[in-house]
Amino acid sequence: MLQVQNIEKYYGSQNQVTKALDRVSFSVEEGTFLSIMGASGSGKTTLLNCISTIDTVSAGKILLDGTDLAELPQEELARFRRERLGFVFQDFNLLDTLTIEENIGLALSLNHWDPGAVHRQVAQAARQLEITDILEKFPYQVSGGQKQRAACARAMVAGQSLLLADEPTGALDSKASKSLLELMSRMNRELGTTILMVTHDAYSASFSSRILFLKDGRIFNELIRGERTRAVFYHEILDVLALLGGDISDVI
Amino acid sequence: MTLSKLSLRNARRQTRDYMVYFVTIVLAASLIYAFNGLIFSREILELSGVMSELPLIVVLASIVVLCILAWLVHYTIDFLFSRRSRELGTYILMGLENRQVSLLFFLENLAVGGCALLLGLPLGGLMFQVLRAVILTLFGLPYHFTLALSLNPLLLTLLSFVLIYLLAQLRSRKKLHNMKICDLIYYERQNEKEIISKSSKRQFLFTLSGICGILGTLLLLAGNFLLGVLGSACIITFLYGFFISFSSAVPAWFAKHPRQKYKGQNLLVFRILTSKLASMGILLATISLLLTAVLITEGTGLTFHAIARNRARLTSCFDLLVSFSGQEEGLFTDYLQDIQDQVPVTMSHTYEIYLGETGQLSDYVEDKIRFYQYYSADPVMKYSDYAFLRAMLGYPAVSLEPGHYLIHCEPHLKRLMDQYTLPIELGGYILEPGGVYNEIFHQDSSDTNGNSFLLVMPDEAVTAAPASHKLYAAMTAQPLEEAQYAALDPGNLPVDSGLWMRSKAQTLEDAASQTALFVLPLFYLALVLIMTAATILTIQQLSETNRYRSQFLLLEKLGMDRKEMNRALRLQFAIYYAMPAVPPVLIGSIFLLYLGNGVEPGTLTGASHPLALLGLSLGLFFLIYGVYITMAYSSLKRNVLPL
Repeated sequence: MLQVQNIEKYYGSQNQVTKALDRVSFSVEEGTFLSIMGASGSGKTTLLNCISTIDTVSAGKILLDGTDLAELPQEELARFRRERLGFVFQDFNLLDTLTIEENIGLALSLNHWDPGAVHRQVAQAARQLEITDILEKFPYQVSGGQKQRAACARAMVAGQSLLLADEPTGALDSKASKSLLELMSRMNRELGTTILMVTHDAYSASFSSRILFLKDGRIFNELIRGERTRAVFYHEILDVLALLGGDISDVI
Repeated sequence: MTLSKLSLRNARRQTRDYMVYFVTIVLAASLIYAFNGLIFSREILELSGVMSELPLIVVLASIVVLCILAWLVHYTIDFLFSRRSRELGTYILMGLENRQVSLLFFLENLAVGGCALLLGLPLGGLMFQVLRAVILTLFGLPYHFTLALSLNPLLLTLLSFVLIYLLAQLRSRKKLHNMKICDLIYYERQNEKEIISKSSKRQFLFTLSGICGILGTLLLLAGNFLLGVLGSACIITFLYGFFISFSSAVPAWFAKHPRQKYKGQNLLVFRILTSKLASMGILLATISLLLTAVLITEGTGLTFHAIARNRARLTSCFDLLVSFSGQEEGLFTDYLQDIQDQVPVTMSHTYEIYLGETGQLSDYVEDKIRFYQYYSADPVMKYSDYAFLRAMLGYPAVSLEPGHYLIHCEPHLKRLMDQYTLPIELGGYILEPGGVYNEIFHQDSSDTNGNSFLLVMPDEAVTAAPASHKLYAAMTAQPLEEAQYAALDPGNLPVDSGLWMRSKAQTLEDAASQTALFVLPLFYLALVLIMTAATILTIQQLSETNRYRSQFLLLEKLGMDRKEMNRALRLQFAIYYAMPAVPPVLIGSIFLLYLGNGVEPGTLTGASHPLALLGLSLGLFFLIYGVYITMAYSSLKRNVLPL
């Protein structure tokens, strides 16, 4: 589904160049729950931004279903984002002027859905994510966990095939984090949603089926869960993080 | 870093962030200086006798202007206080005393005000020259440009600013003293309260205000003064009710029409708007009232100016016109002798206006248009007098065929008179229409050359007709000076003397004085009012820049097309500025048309037609409003959706 081929990303001017991504390559099959881990400054958010077309790569290619994202004009990119990608951010990024229902419906409205069908589709997504009772409320009236569920609903309601999550549990307490991660696992398992999640939390990453470890802009290691239990997988993640050395305090 | 350096740095930031406010204060300072300049200008005050009233009128207008400006400064400082309360709280947290923080805040506002005043004064000097040029031109005097700042207006302007800023400082100091550090730090996060918290009550109010709005408009359209006052009260109720309840009405409407909610940019545009309006309903209604006052003040000024100019134009063809309708014939002849002695008359003519046998032409006019009949029958002039007067005025000669009559009317009656084909009988002669002429002929009342029109008939037909009044028309070698006019003014004679005199010079001077005394101060008020209203709207809009930026960044990530984002921003912006402007346009238009149509028929015609004046008023209104909208939009667009 997604192919990342030798991408590089530089920041800064001629005198002071920072290499954020250095020849990163990997591919993601449909239905995968992939986590990208790394310490602060390792390049994981840059990688997510490049895949989500918010940022551009300095070299290399990102192909989604065979389409090179760099070759798409602005209008096509916008269409691509609203039709194919769903976003979940650490700080929820719900519009505070809209109700939860309207925040979810916004994704459909942007996709020019028939206005009459929006309400039905939102209600269905809300049922799946168990937030039906908060649809009429505004974001400031609900908890962080509920906001993030609403963000998940917005990210999948229009049938987006790739969900990109940037530290989705970063602003949640442990109970709400667990609930959200279980929900994301269920979305991946039951609805077949492909998820790409950036995190520096080993516990969050243990919910995924595959993990890429980034260090200094390069892929340092890769873990695949396979048939192992989540507890075993969690300990393996901690082992890899130990190998990352001095940065370990940042990533656990 | 010292307190003063910190204040200066903050002042610079404030000026950059709220440039619109700064520009408005600069312009206000220059306007205040320019009008203060008029108060102390001997040259202007000595232009005519009535111009001595100018200081009083300017001071009255300035008091209103200063109150409005004080409100703007207070509002902006209060607004900045709420936006920067966290920063101010942090200063106190770091060990500064409340008193010092209050001084810091005052100093930076004073620095902004001081800079505005410094820039405004030279600009005010220029503006004073413009005002001087306008007034001298109105009086037909030559104008020489001289740029200099005068001490008295400068001190008066300085005093006004000091008062405004001291008042604002006292208020913000009191506020700061009464707040704890935690209050300050979390002040910005406080939810802005809606005036009516219950949504159902707001929806009821919305319906009620809608009814008031319709009722008010109908009452205003009725054209009756008392009903107009009632209508205005209804419209004011509508304004406050509408803006307070709008934020609830939109969601309620969306709940009933879910399809509309997700159509196009409706959801985004109206939700952004309602969230903004929820907490500023009273403010928007007040701004709407201010804008109504702007349109009414500005339109009234334009109408007064047009009335003064047109009346002067219609009544200033003769250099001197004396009318006599009294009994003591000697009074008239003595008075004419005085004129001959004091004024260098080059040409003159004494004649009579007669009354016809019927008022058939007056009745005809009254049937067709609004017309005030001053005479008991149609006014008539002998052809010989008419021909002489035309020659005196330099108009082409006209002939009167035997058995015919002519009509001389004001320009606005020409078409109507052309359609009049009936014969008129006088002195045993039955006369047929022989032509209509409409050059300016001083025909504005019962004691001039007819009231809007007169009949010109063969001398033999008029011989037996009763005289209405006597007239003496003259052309002079040079315009009558004010002192000569004062010496000849029949106002010194008893009221029942029946003697009345007008000079062309005095008529033009009176028109110029009226414009300078009433029209310029009205424009002054209108300008300050619209600048204040538009500045507050713009400050409110630009204060949301950061929120809009993050919202549109998110929408971009969600895949919203850039064109659609532009459209949504534009639409939201347009509705935000249009909402408080629609009621003023409605109320102001009705008022101005009513005012324009209340004037004597024929005074406001052509380019001064009430509709043309309304168009000009609206044009000026939207020109200034548009400048602020353009400034705000370009700033918002640059920050929210950069290219």
